[in-house]
Amino acid sequence: MSTYEEEHGTHENNDAATERRDARSQFQTLFQSIENPQSDNYLIELFASMIISPELQEEWLNSGDSKGNKGCPQEFIDSLPRIPAEQIPLKEPCPICYEKFGDDEYPLVAELPHCHHKFDLQCISLWLSKQNTCPLCRDAVNEKNFDDIDVSKAELEEDWGMYG
Amino acid sequence: MASLPKRIIKETERLVSDPVPGITAEPHDDNLRYFEVTIEGPAGSPYENGIFQLELYLPDDYPMEAPKVRFLTKIYHPNIDRLGRICLDVLKTNWSPALQIRTVLLSIQALLASPNPNDPLANDVAEDWIKNEEGAKNKAREWTQLYATKK
Repeated sequence: MSTYEEEHGTHENNDAATERRDARSQFQTLFQSIENPQSDNYLIELFASMIISPELQEEWLNSGDSKGNKGCPQEFIDSLPRIPAEQIPLKEPCPICYEKFGDDEYPLVAELPHCHHKFDLQCISLWLSKQNTCPLCRDAVNEKNFDDIDVSKAELEEDWGMYG
Repeated sequence: MASLPKRIIKETERLVSDPVPGITAEPHDDNLRYFEVTIEGPAGSPYENGIFQLELYLPDDYPMEAPKVRFLTKIYHPNIDRLGRICLDVLKTNWSPALQIRTVLLSIQALLASPNPNDPLANDVAEDWIKNEEGAKNKAREWTQLYATKK
């Protein structure tokens, strides 16, 4: 018969809990040994054992939300301009998945603001969450000319409001 | 195994139907993400007349992640280490999902034509290349003869 832990797949959590308890007792020892300055070597060993392995460090650095991530902020990705349905070039393939835009019954195509390269919204969103460059021209997509574009649009609308 | 993305199928078809001169890439029968690759040494380079075997693997995240490529044939080159790992920007930081197997293999072929000892992976080879380029090229020719030529 399988145990509770096996059935619920909680083995790792259990291990983590054990590790936390270990760490706690190690810190306790650490505090106690402050009054006992002769245990320097032991202290050093203790600290060494707490340092995470280089492999793990790398894994953490590479994992999504860490500072090593060069992707665009989600707000930027969500705000990518989409091409109106009637203007989508249905026979062109998405440069990422190679499917023609028109192969999708309800295509969602995004255009990068400054270089106007077009991609399936889904494909480019995934890429921009990892890297902030256009796959075709490699320009950083969220650094250039953004203010200009926004400002000009705002003024245009304002003018229309006044004279239209 | 999860189904193969259409993109990989299309790339594979084109590699077979419209191969790049001097390059072959064939998917493995039991794993269509694993390719056996050969690259001919470019004419005029120390690798001329050699046929180099490589392995190429498309990770699960491909094309969001670059293919993994490695030389299986021993080669004396400042940007390729003794394990066959290749120091090439498009395989690491400069990967883009608009690149493909074909363009990656062309870049590797170009790397054979113009080694870059200033951005080395194999430090000893690069040092040799900088100090004594003629000698290093002779050694590369020797290795090509020894390991990359069909007998």
